[in-house]
Amino acid sequence: MTKPSSPMPAAPAPPSDTVAGIVFFGAFALLVMPMLDAFGTIDHFTLNLWGKYLCYALLALSVDMLWGGTGLLSLGQALFFTLGGYMHGMYLMRMIGDQGQYHKPIPDFLVFLGWTDLPSFWRPFEHFSFAMLMVFLLPGALAFVFGWLAFRSRIKGVYFSILTQALTYAGALIFFRNNTLMGGNNGFTDFKSELGFPLADPATQRGLFVVTAAVLLLTVIGLHWLRGTKFGLVQRAIRDGENRTLFSGYATPTFKLFLFVAAAMIAAIGGALYVPQVGIINPSDMTPDKSLEAIVWVAVGGRGTLAGPILGAVAVNLLKSYATRAFPDLWLILLGGLFLLVVLFLPGGLISLPDKLRPLWAKLRRSPAPTA
Amino acid sequence: MAHPLLTVEDVTKTYDGFKAITKLNFYLFEGELRTVIGPNGAGKSTFFDLLTGRAHPDSGKIEYGTDPADSHDLTKMDEVAINRLGIGRKFQAPSVYVDHTVYENLVLSLRGSRGVFASLFLRLGSTETDRIDELLKLIRLDAKRDWKAGLLAHGEKQWLEIGMLLAQEPRVLLIDEPAAGMTDEETHRTGELLLSLAGKHSLVVVEHDMAFVRQIAQNGKVTVLHQGSVLCEGKFDDVQADPRVREVYLGRGKHGNR
Amino acid sequence: MKAFFRTILLFACFSALGLRAETGREALAKAILEPSDAEKRARLMALAGTRDEAVIPLLELWKKDALFLAPGLDGKPVPVELVGPADADGKRAAQRVDSGRPLLDASGRPLSLSPKGLKSAEHNGALRRAMRTVSDLADLSSPDASKKLRAIAAVGQAQDAEKLPALLNRLEVEQDAAAVKALREAVALIRLGSPDRAVRLAAVRELDALQSLASTDFLAKARVKAEQEKDPGLVAAVRSAELSVGRHRSVVDGAGTLFRSLSLGSILLIVALGLAITFGQMGVINMAHGEMIAIGAYTTYVVQNLFASGLALSPFGFSLSLPGLHATGAAKDAYFLVALPMSFFVAAGAGLLLERTVIRFLYRRPLESLLATWGVSLLLQQGLRLTFGANNVQVGSPAFLSGNWLVADVLLGWNRVFVIAFAACIVLGVWLALTRTSLGLLIRCVTQNRAMAACMGVRTGRVNMLTFALGSGLAGLAGAFLSQIGNVGPSLGQSYIVDSFMVVVAGGVGNLVGTVISALGIGTFDQFTQQYAPAFANAFAGVPVVGGFLQNLAQDSAVFGKILVLCGIILFLQWRPSGLFAARSRSLD
Repeated sequence: MTKPSSPMPAAPAPPSDTVAGIVFFGAFALLVMPMLDAFGTIDHFTLNLWGKYLCYALLALSVDMLWGGTGLLSLGQALFFTLGGYMHGMYLMRMIGDQGQYHKPIPDFLVFLGWTDLPSFWRPFEHFSFAMLMVFLLPGALAFVFGWLAFRSRIKGVYFSILTQALTYAGALIFFRNNTLMGGNNGFTDFKSELGFPLADPATQRGLFVVTAAVLLLTVIGLHWLRGTKFGLVQRAIRDGENRTLFSGYATPTFKLFLFVAAAMIAAIGGALYVPQVGIINPSDMTPDKSLEAIVWVAVGGRGTLAGPILGAVAVNLLKSYATRAFPDLWLILLGGLFLLVVLFLPGGLISLPDKLRPLWAKLRRSPAPTA
Repeated sequence: MAHPLLTVEDVTKTYDGFKAITKLNFYLFEGELRTVIGPNGAGKSTFFDLLTGRAHPDSGKIEYGTDPADSHDLTKMDEVAINRLGIGRKFQAPSVYVDHTVYENLVLSLRGSRGVFASLFLRLGSTETDRIDELLKLIRLDAKRDWKAGLLAHGEKQWLEIGMLLAQEPRVLLIDEPAAGMTDEETHRTGELLLSLAGKHSLVVVEHDMAFVRQIAQNGKVTVLHQGSVLCEGKFDDVQADPRVREVYLGRGKHGNR
Repeated sequence: MKAFFRTILLFACFSALGLRAETGREALAKAILEPSDAEKRARLMALAGTRDEAVIPLLELWKKDALFLAPGLDGKPVPVELVGPADADGKRAAQRVDSGRPLLDASGRPLSLSPKGLKSAEHNGALRRAMRTVSDLADLSSPDASKKLRAIAAVGQAQDAEKLPALLNRLEVEQDAAAVKALREAVALIRLGSPDRAVRLAAVRELDALQSLASTDFLAKARVKAEQEKDPGLVAAVRSAELSVGRHRSVVDGAGTLFRSLSLGSILLIVALGLAITFGQMGVINMAHGEMIAIGAYTTYVVQNLFASGLALSPFGFSLSLPGLHATGAAKDAYFLVALPMSFFVAAGAGLLLERTVIRFLYRRPLESLLATWGVSLLLQQGLRLTFGANNVQVGSPAFLSGNWLVADVLLGWNRVFVIAFAACIVLGVWLALTRTSLGLLIRCVTQNRAMAACMGVRTGRVNMLTFALGSGLAGLAGAFLSQIGNVGPSLGQSYIVDSFMVVVAGGVGNLVGTVISALGIGTFDQFTQQYAPAFANAFAGVPVVGGFLQNLAQDSAVFGKILVLCGIILFLQWRPSGLFAARSRSLD
């Protein structure tokens, strides 16, 4: 290819509203919210809550790049999210130092289990860079091994969902054990500082919020770019007719593996950012139900889009924050019912609502016309 | 005589005890246009499945390549590998990517690297865009290049799929019932297209439409499949005159005319 | 010493011939009145192996100074116990030790006595030891077979040479094969402690022949002793016995594991069968399957309470009180017979409703049906929680389920036997329903070719509805069954759902045989990896990271088993991607 090349004209030109949306959202999340917080217009708790939602948005994006984009319904994303959280959490646990309740140089739960020295696999985690590397590597490696086996034997559809569900379940079983030396069912909590900044300081939390928003923004831009490449075409081709794609000479297992590993890493970094902002990570975040909850966000927001998963993650969690306080008994019923309604009546999610309503609106406006 | 490009010998394939293909022998030479006919259940689709790696034979050999010292054993390869060798297939039911535009369908099929990273950073040069424009004209879909393929009429989908096949620039084209769902005029044009491809490419065409078969088989051989093996092979007129063929095929009066 | 044995022997002869000179009570009364300590002890020991069940409790009373010597009419003391409630003066009814009848006064009226004015029957250390021996040995002839076996084993384990004669006596008259074996084992164990080398050698040989599992520790001790005594012949014999016992133990352990595998496999089969039907025949993954199981279990719970004292529920804040039948005895136990069909029909009804309102709109979209049914599962789970409370409820199971059955040293719990039988019945029932009924014919025909079936006038919608109801009903049966082996809670089904999905995935769709084999296979794999978890983990010890992780994991064999089952299934699918039995299709997607 010696001639001047053009970017893929095959992809639909990015609708200007997508780009505008990215810019608007970026400005809002990166600048406006932290500034509002710094000036005291919104309280720290609210900013912190939104930081959590943005982490969930990363999880939702990872679900949707597989489900909406490729037709792979993975129930394993909560596992990758939590693993990322645990990897970062190990660093945060080391940063507690001897300020724990037992005032020992090792994490409290290890003291409780009768350990006096740090188990060897814990040692490298006092380095931030190693912990960050593991945030990507461990979930990535797990996704690679599992995905390689699953895609190689052409496991797809509900089979893939069921196996990822079992994988998540197995992960939870392992992390619930005390002997895994990862805090058992209490997990990690009582973090003190991150890179020397005290986590209790609102400024630190504001910084974490900005980092989260930036990561989310980069992810969205990256995914947006991906859709415009030929890879994006193949991805959609796999979703719509995987066998046909094989006969076009594309090794679909490799494509799916790439996506699965990438999605695992996106979920993992979401989890890693979640831990210092929420202050706790435990195996109950690892259950298949948590993955399904993330799928609800995507379904409610609108699958197969970039804005949909983010919208869904924020909207459903706002509702959850409200509902679990206002009527805790009914929250699960609300969630289940909401999900059922969306799957049955609004497959495009909230984001498709304007398009659905537009003809209705037009009709409403037109109908009075004859009388006028 | 030259070595065949595609050698199929003594191939047998059984599904749950049902013998779909029995001791099949089939040779395709470089540049040939071969028409395969046969009643329903004769094993035509299974035959294509075996050639493209969708199914693997229980026994027998399938080899690809004119040089016996450097031929590929297709019985051990999967769809992707066989496709990359240069064997393209058009399915009986038109299978295009319905949510992609016509243009995108062709981009996906265009000859070139199929790897993950290659597709991440691929940029189309003018050679490629010219090639696509050319193909669009050939299959008469240039006006509908930005239509979603799912919105095309049945015949247009058939054409698009043929275009996708051509975009791959394969050495061997396996074409399953290209004329189904087309008007007589379209069918005729399809026949002419296929005839024009012979020589540059090697083709195997499965078809039911006898008028169409008569058209495309004017120079080439016709193979009649029956119950999973070759019943007879030869010129269209000879085959049509063969009493065995009349009995198993035309005699049933099902596909003899349109 | 000799005297006691002679007496015991005499007594044993009498009892064997059925010529009992006196009842146990009479003998006991005589022993109490006997002035000489030695004779007293002899008489007491004579009671060993007595069939009179009143003796042992009386001995207990004697030990506690609760047997008294009341003045008899003839002036001689009469041993009595005081029974019944005390009156205002602290007096209680006196009952004769020798006959168990009330002690009468001169006018023939029952006497009440206060313990204060009475002398209690005396005893000392030697007598108390004798009493304990008697009570230990009494169980040797207990009519309750399992009690008898336990008693024999206990005597053997104690290696008390003093009890050897009693065992030998019992051995002569014992008819029950299991008891004979236990007696021989106990005798050999006691003789293993003998100072006489020949006796010990014979005992070792006997244990070798018996493959006595209980003897492991004793044999090890005997070997150490023999090695100290530098007795190579004995050492060799003990070694051989240990080998033989070890072999037998691994066989027994293996058989036990196999049996547990079978019962775990049966549980998996029961919970997965309904799922296999809905998935296999209709392609619908029902995430609410676990809640259908819970519905079945709660139905059983409700039926049980209706048979008993009724039930007060507060669904969603309303209060609802159901009256009970107050049934007792066999009628109460019969609730399960009512609960079984009830749980089937209630769950089937719930399934029917679910199919009509949700699933039928999603037949062409399997992933969406998975998601929608998950939504339903949340609704149902919370609904159950609000109706029955978040805590587990107890469902009583028939008493016989807690029993055991010992076959060739392998312990077969009745509850596990019940599990296997239940699974077999259900599989048979489903098989009959699918092959012998017209609904089954319709289901199979819709599975094979929906469009064709519709063209032939089969109302496929109705068939779907009934298939789904059948699958849900089977889940309900599973729930009724699970309520018998554990607690019932709103998330009961959740603990089984992943496992039952695994069964269906590994078994392949649309084939009952695949499901059966897969359930039993997974059960077996799970139990054997649990049994041999450490060995398995050690095999990978050399692999970096993985080896250490596996060894850590092997500490919790249950988790270890589950993880390996998952890995096993993923690897199995490499070999057979669509499970054991795959339905082939010729369409492109």
